[in-house]
Amino acid sequence: MERTTSSAVTGLKYLALCAYLVFLAFPLLWLLSTALKTPQEIAQINPTIIPNDITFANFRAAFDEQPIARSLVNTAFVASVSATLTVLLSIPAAYVMARYRSVVSRAVIVWVLLSQIFPWVLVIIPLFLLLRDAGLYDSRLGLIIVYVVWSMPFALWMLRSYVASIPYELEEAAAMDGATKVRALRSVVAPLLAPGVVAAGLFAFVSAWNEFLFALVLIRDPDLQTISLTLVKFIGAEGVARLGPLAAASLVATIPSLIFFAFMQRRLTGGLLGGAVKS
Amino acid sequence: MTIKRRWSTVAAGLTGIALLLTACGGDDSDDSDSSTESNGAEGSGGDAAEEPAEPEEPITLEFQTLAWQTASMEANEEIVDAWNDEHPNIQVDLLQGDWNNVNDQLLTAFEGGTAPDVFHYESTVLQEFGDRGNVLDLSGYLSDEIRSDIREGAWDTVTYDDAVYGVPFLQESQVVFANATILEDAGIELPTVDDPWTWDEFTEVAAELTTDDRYGAVYPLKSPTNRILNLSRNYGAEFFEDPSGEATAVFGDAEAEVLGRIHDMIYTDESASPDGLGMSSTDALPAFFDGQYAMLPGAIWLRQQLMEQAPDDFEWVTLPALEGDSQQQGAVSQTLSVSADTEYPEYAVQFIEYFLNAENQVKLAAGDWLLPTSQEAAEAPELNDPETGWDVAVATADVLEIAPFQLVKGFEEWKAKVSEPSLQQFFADEISLDELGAKLTGEGNDVLERYRR
Amino acid sequence: MSKARPKATTSVLAAPRGRPRKPQPRRSRRRFLGLDRDGMLLAVPALIPVAVFSLYPLMRGIYLGFTDAQAGRATETSFTAFSNYADLLDDSYFWESFRVGLIWAFSVTILQFVASLGLAMLLNQKIRLRWLARTLSLVPWAMPPVVIGIMWRLIYHPNAGLLNSVLMDLRIIDSNVDWLSSFSLALPAIIVVGVWTGMPQTTVVILAGLQSVSKELQEAASVDGAGAWQRFRAVTWPAIAPVVTAITTLDFIWNFNQFGLVYVLTEGGPGGATRLPMLFAYEEAFRYGNYGYAAALGNVMVLIIAVFVAFYLRQRFKEAQK
Repeated sequence: MERTTSSAVTGLKYLALCAYLVFLAFPLLWLLSTALKTPQEIAQINPTIIPNDITFANFRAAFDEQPIARSLVNTAFVASVSATLTVLLSIPAAYVMARYRSVVSRAVIVWVLLSQIFPWVLVIIPLFLLLRDAGLYDSRLGLIIVYVVWSMPFALWMLRSYVASIPYELEEAAAMDGATKVRALRSVVAPLLAPGVVAAGLFAFVSAWNEFLFALVLIRDPDLQTISLTLVKFIGAEGVARLGPLAAASLVATIPSLIFFAFMQRRLTGGLLGGAVKS
Repeated sequence: MTIKRRWSTVAAGLTGIALLLTACGGDDSDDSDSSTESNGAEGSGGDAAEEPAEPEEPITLEFQTLAWQTASMEANEEIVDAWNDEHPNIQVDLLQGDWNNVNDQLLTAFEGGTAPDVFHYESTVLQEFGDRGNVLDLSGYLSDEIRSDIREGAWDTVTYDDAVYGVPFLQESQVVFANATILEDAGIELPTVDDPWTWDEFTEVAAELTTDDRYGAVYPLKSPTNRILNLSRNYGAEFFEDPSGEATAVFGDAEAEVLGRIHDMIYTDESASPDGLGMSSTDALPAFFDGQYAMLPGAIWLRQQLMEQAPDDFEWVTLPALEGDSQQQGAVSQTLSVSADTEYPEYAVQFIEYFLNAENQVKLAAGDWLLPTSQEAAEAPELNDPETGWDVAVATADVLEIAPFQLVKGFEEWKAKVSEPSLQQFFADEISLDELGAKLTGEGNDVLERYRR
Repeated sequence: MSKARPKATTSVLAAPRGRPRKPQPRRSRRRFLGLDRDGMLLAVPALIPVAVFSLYPLMRGIYLGFTDAQAGRATETSFTAFSNYADLLDDSYFWESFRVGLIWAFSVTILQFVASLGLAMLLNQKIRLRWLARTLSLVPWAMPPVVIGIMWRLIYHPNAGLLNSVLMDLRIIDSNVDWLSSFSLALPAIIVVGVWTGMPQTTVVILAGLQSVSKELQEAASVDGAGAWQRFRAVTWPAIAPVVTAITTLDFIWNFNQFGLVYVLTEGGPGGATRLPMLFAYEEAFRYGNYGYAAALGNVMVLIIAVFVAFYLRQRFKEAQK
């Protein structure tokens, strides 16, 4: 009796999961399907998932006309450096925010919220002028700085709440052994933060990977351009787009992120905390 | 309570910093003032029509194009390469922008002085850019040759007072595409360039072609304003009084004509499909290919999409622009302009004149399936091929004119806040023609008020 | 003064579970802004880039809201104090879009949260091919934003769209629905896209939060005979509450500030039914060049959203205190 209920529950779980995944991942399939279709078939009245005749012309066109590979390398570089820097800078600061009752912590919270609420359209011009004066126009470094600062509010905000959920007793024990704050953070708190760090790192990586507007105004040199800049070259005025090459290029741009996710999700499994907190 | 206190502390801090920033702000504006002056001086001193000598040292000009279809991108590359071969000391760096974001990009670049020397955009934005001192007045630089080769009506779209803010080169006009098989089966006699359909004839044919599973026509009306205003020139509609001065929105019989006809086709005759409401022209293609619509009024560039996407057995034909009181249509132009920040205005103009000579305009027009502004280019055999509707497209050259709305300061805001939403409501049959007129003028003039200060 | 400002906002997120908030670190010799040497050492590297590249442009943006700044070099900017705000009170277009914006932001945030919580709990269990499921659930995040709007437009296409053809096949509808140009359906249709786009980050964050739920407590509760719901209420929820508060707050702010995606889908139509308020600030600044007025819109939005957020954080804090 009990076994049947539990297998029914398991069945329901898988069913629910499948529904979620269809909803979330289906458009990827659609992208793939579009990328493999001819222009005639894309404009067909009854679209099918499996193309009638598969063509790779869209991939060829995308790679021939735009520096896709080069932009992917650029983007991967910019995104991974920004994600790493964001996390490295945010962990200690988030720790301070969670553990110290200081003016700084409060000011940072206000800044976090303000920076997220205030329309970026109004920030972009002053920021652009600032970067230009600093000699960072048309450089990867300029983009990286923008992305780090851009992702930091999220990273701080999240990591702060993760730190807050780690029992302080653990650190006290370390402190009694004579460890400094910095040491305690490194050896006790940081390992427990792993899932949160992964979440923040993923966020920073993805935001940088997908970011468009700053890249648009900061990067001039086609050799430095990031993938989102490359993709819009397939879109024209008045809602007309070259759907085939756009889908092909977008698919190519999506795959690296997905592989990266597949790799990182193991870290999300963590389970570290569950084991470590034996108070 | 504590929260409130905290916010007020922050506010106090912000005010302090804000005061500091005011000081910095002052510097910025000083800088830009001086640069405007120097540019102005250069502009008036420029020698018209003289080919400037090549510079001693190699210089580089940045040219940002918005070409994005394969053929037109190739044409751009080809022309720039040829120029670079001929002008070793004036090298042009070809950059590719994109239509949807070029406005944001240019606006920011103007603020930072990083705009490309020569850029591709369209005539509707030039007045604003000109007023803000961001684009160079080319009137002192242009040669007589290009002046006379490009149609007067096209120059009108880039000339504000006496300033010429760009060189117009591609124009779109509105025609009608039809499913040739359906029209033939119904025994419809096709109109010709010399004897085009009137709106009445078009409406009748659409009704005749409407069956249980087919509409005679579909009007893609996703963002209808520019299209409707341009087409309404058929009946002499102005929509604005004193457009270049104290512009006021007006709405009378002439303005109501095209709007009313399209609305009636959708709701009275039921000969135009209501599907078109949220569609762009390309959205309408799948059902057009499927034979659900017999006719699709659209712009001449749509031919490119038809060539590329139509099934092999689909026969389409381009029908001449419709005639109301006249065949006149409003048209905007794609343009090349020179940034006010450029160091080399003479060379920039020299490049533009080369890029837009008749021979090159043929390539550009063919690549984008749009009408060249060069009169010589319009005579090229490849731009007169009836097979692909070029004869019909080129015939519209004589009826294109600048629509009054292009001169109106604040038109963009009028369009975004008043006209687009009201037109959508009207075409969805939520409001009547009279209510539409009242909105366009009532609410519309409230918006325009701001620009008269 | 320091006594008058206890835990409120700062400690809300810490939401200590029953246990008093962390004890203050032992007093050290010198303190600056409430930080000892270690604290400074930890915080400064992050604060410097923030101050230069975020705080400065922000302040400048806020300040613009009190001026008549315009795009272009021929203009002079002068301080106008509150005149922008007086104009704004009269701006009925803005307030109408503000209403739409609130409906949009609340619906998307709530739906996003509920859907993501469910998904995160599923993904946190021992299931087959979990790595794959976790990766696939992040698809919306990996997809380039420029293509998202275009793709959903195709899905919603009135007569060649996938959604209509699926619904017809399932006999749920018997004639095509024009999703994006219907006055009543356009907003719900874009809300679905909004939920879709924002689910991955919410899911990842909650999933990371679930990792910190003590397995021992779960098991103990289980042994005590607590049902799934009771276990969730008593153990899981309190543990993830701080994280949930943090992410829902950010989601709400982000959603409220969203407009690019919606603009691609509907351009604010039909008849302004999907015109989000940030589109206003954007158009004022980048289309009409009225930086001053646009910044004033921004400032007002900041204030109003801040009130919502403060209120929310306070509620959450009270709940956590119980």
